[in-house]
Amino acid sequence: MENLELLLRGFTVSLTPMNIGAAFLGAILGLIVGAMPGIGSLAGVALLLPLTYKFDPTTAIIMLGALYYSNMYGGSFSAILLNIPGDSPAVMTALDGYPMAKKKKRPGQALFTANMSSFIGGSVGIIILTFAGPALANLGLKFGPSEMTAILLIAMTSISWLVGENPIKGMLITMVGILLASIGMDTLSGAPRYDFGSMYLLGGIPFTPFVIGTVGFSQVISLINERNKSSENEKVDTKLSIRGSLLTKHDFRRLLPPALRSGFLGTFVGVLPGAGATTGSFMGYAVQKKFKSEEELGTGAIEGIAACEAANNAAAAGAFAPLLALGIPGSGTGAVLLGGLMLWGLNPGPLLFQNNPDFAWGLISSLFLANILTLMIAIMVIPFLTKILSVPTKYMIPIITVVCVVGSYSTNNSMYGVLVMLLSGILGYVMQKNDYPTAPMLLSFVLAKLLESNMRKAFIISGGSLNIFFTRPITLVLMIIFIALIVVPIVRSLLGRRKKEYTV
Amino acid sequence: MGIKKKMVTLLAVILILSTALIGCQSQEVSKTYTPDSTINWTVTSSPGGGSDIFTRMISDIMTTEKIADGTIVVTNKTDGGGEVGRNDVAHLQGNKANNTLLTFNSGDLMPMVKNTKNRSSNFRILAIMAVDKQLIFKGKNTKYNDFKEAIEAAKNGGTVIIGGSKGDDIATYEAMLEEIGVSKDNMKYITYDSTGDAITAALGDHVEFVISKPAAASQYVEAGTLIPVLALATERYTGNLAGAPTLSEIGDYENVEIPVWRGIAAPAAMSDEAVAFWSEALGKVAETQKWKNDYIDKNKLVPDYKDTVKATEYVTQYEKDYMEANGIK
Repeated sequence: MENLELLLRGFTVSLTPMNIGAAFLGAILGLIVGAMPGIGSLAGVALLLPLTYKFDPTTAIIMLGALYYSNMYGGSFSAILLNIPGDSPAVMTALDGYPMAKKKKRPGQALFTANMSSFIGGSVGIIILTFAGPALANLGLKFGPSEMTAILLIAMTSISWLVGENPIKGMLITMVGILLASIGMDTLSGAPRYDFGSMYLLGGIPFTPFVIGTVGFSQVISLINERNKSSENEKVDTKLSIRGSLLTKHDFRRLLPPALRSGFLGTFVGVLPGAGATTGSFMGYAVQKKFKSEEELGTGAIEGIAACEAANNAAAAGAFAPLLALGIPGSGTGAVLLGGLMLWGLNPGPLLFQNNPDFAWGLISSLFLANILTLMIAIMVIPFLTKILSVPTKYMIPIITVVCVVGSYSTNNSMYGVLVMLLSGILGYVMQKNDYPTAPMLLSFVLAKLLESNMRKAFIISGGSLNIFFTRPITLVLMIIFIALIVVPIVRSLLGRRKKEYTV
Repeated sequence: MGIKKKMVTLLAVILILSTALIGCQSQEVSKTYTPDSTINWTVTSSPGGGSDIFTRMISDIMTTEKIADGTIVVTNKTDGGGEVGRNDVAHLQGNKANNTLLTFNSGDLMPMVKNTKNRSSNFRILAIMAVDKQLIFKGKNTKYNDFKEAIEAAKNGGTVIIGGSKGDDIATYEAMLEEIGVSKDNMKYITYDSTGDAITAALGDHVEFVISKPAAASQYVEAGTLIPVLALATERYTGNLAGAPTLSEIGDYENVEIPVWRGIAAPAAMSDEAVAFWSEALGKVAETQKWKNDYIDKNKLVPDYKDTVKATEYVTQYEKDYMEANGIK
């Protein structure tokens, strides 16, 4: 109850015209920044931060908070319409969003699903943050190297659901992802790996250009090929109105359960140190595979879009818990916000809620405000966004190419990103032509780095003993889940085979 | 006609004189340097971290106090552990070289020299602004009461785990181990991406101790979740860190202090005039109240401004010592 009272007090801070304006501006900027591939919330917040020094700290953080938050909405736009994820959490959205927009010719509904699920997931996350933020942040602290290793092992099992029809190809491409992730500086010892004397390779393969290349630019290459085959420009018949983009009751019933489930899961993942919205989105999608979906995931299923979009927005809200309650940034963007707090003269850390309650609760209440504002803006722009799909291929090819080049350049402000994007585009195209799935490679690329660093830390702590995974309570429970996930399907299939033998 | 002729002659004389004057003036301008409207400042570590705050604080003071006109654009280039950004800055040429700055700390120099062929001589060292030092903190639930107990346990074959960041924290940890005579197997070090991550691990009891500079740990000390147990300095800190003894106070050891200097460098091609301008400008920043109160005092640093000549000498010697100690040629 006390929290509710403080939240209401927070609303008195955030609902001043100045702060509403700041949240509105932040929400619009976040949508734009999120929709542009390569320029994620990190760059958006970092660029805007110096402009906010002159603001009152509460107004400044409300604006940046809204930007960070609405960025998660924007990332799905280009993923759904162009198959180019605007930010890394949107990689999974593209898996179902693009087929739904393109093959099923329901782009408006795909965008509506993404916006609605983002709203639901985000709302769940903010409500949990309001009532259990500090407690959750303390729970997050309990997740050390061994617990994180167990969670990541569970996440790794989800690769098996993404490998597609040919398991050997799937496994092979998973290994390629792990191999590519190992390029660069070893995070624990600082030793260079596979850098071949190149300063750029020492920095590893940057994820965003890699994704833009394998998912987006590979598509440009295939579009050029298709265009050569038939000169006809495929025009998508799109309904350019909000009404035409509305979801049916049935659609909404399909969307709600995965969005709520992912809301809870995403918030929890967001609270974990170093996990972030990308892992949240992957986990949300993987969990959805375990539940029933009306259509198969990956073919344009509403459940698929809802699961990952709700999870990444919830994770963004969850990441505020350790940031506000403990002064621990859960992500790169969180780190910039933390730096901002220091420059505004506030002391982020365990005493923030005590020393600056107006600020902390003003920010939380502004997240509610930003969530509603962003939903409204995002729905209103759907008709304009869907127009992108009626652009003829001959214009689409240069447009996507420019988006890919600019996006991959702006990740690190260097041509290295563009080079990585072009090469991974070729890799993606070759894979696509030979029926190799890209999702397992991207998933293993993201998770392998985290898994390696956590597993090695766990082994340093235990002196190389496996005991650490079975003697700590949280790790033990997670390891049991992990082993069950592997053993149960094997036992089931063995039993099934036996049953068959008996009946025959 | 006569008057007209006189007027024309007068105008011609004025024109010639003014052209000559402008010519003299432009010669004068080319001798002294004035910064461009946009200054690019590269930071080779993540936004929000210690180096980033250091840089943004200086750029903020430079702008508000009108020490340098124009806009300062801070860019974080972290590829290759920052090596890509440092390499880019080192090789800039022409006017760009005069208008580019780089945040350069001992924590940047060590991995650069160790992992690449880039050396401090590829830069102009403009100034050193301050010196930072580290402490060791324990979490609330760490089983050792103080660091003396931890050293005893490690000497008796036990295992103590310390977490910390990369670069200078590792160098300080290694120097401390050498002094107390404990092996790396008994007092292990886990490298985290940032000090913040290492503190998170200490708060969750995943490491027993954490090595950190005062700024990052200060809030947790105030909240009672981190306890300072050892000052890696020649004398005790003040304020809420005063409780931490130095190494010589807890046993028959010499004090260990590895100064972590925070400086600013520029491309090797920066002109002497520009170097003089920036070195002086940074000296002015170091004199401001905002720098002293909001940066130095708040983060418990030691103010130690060195101009370009002294800073270059200091950094060159530091690099030489580090390379010798680590067998780098």
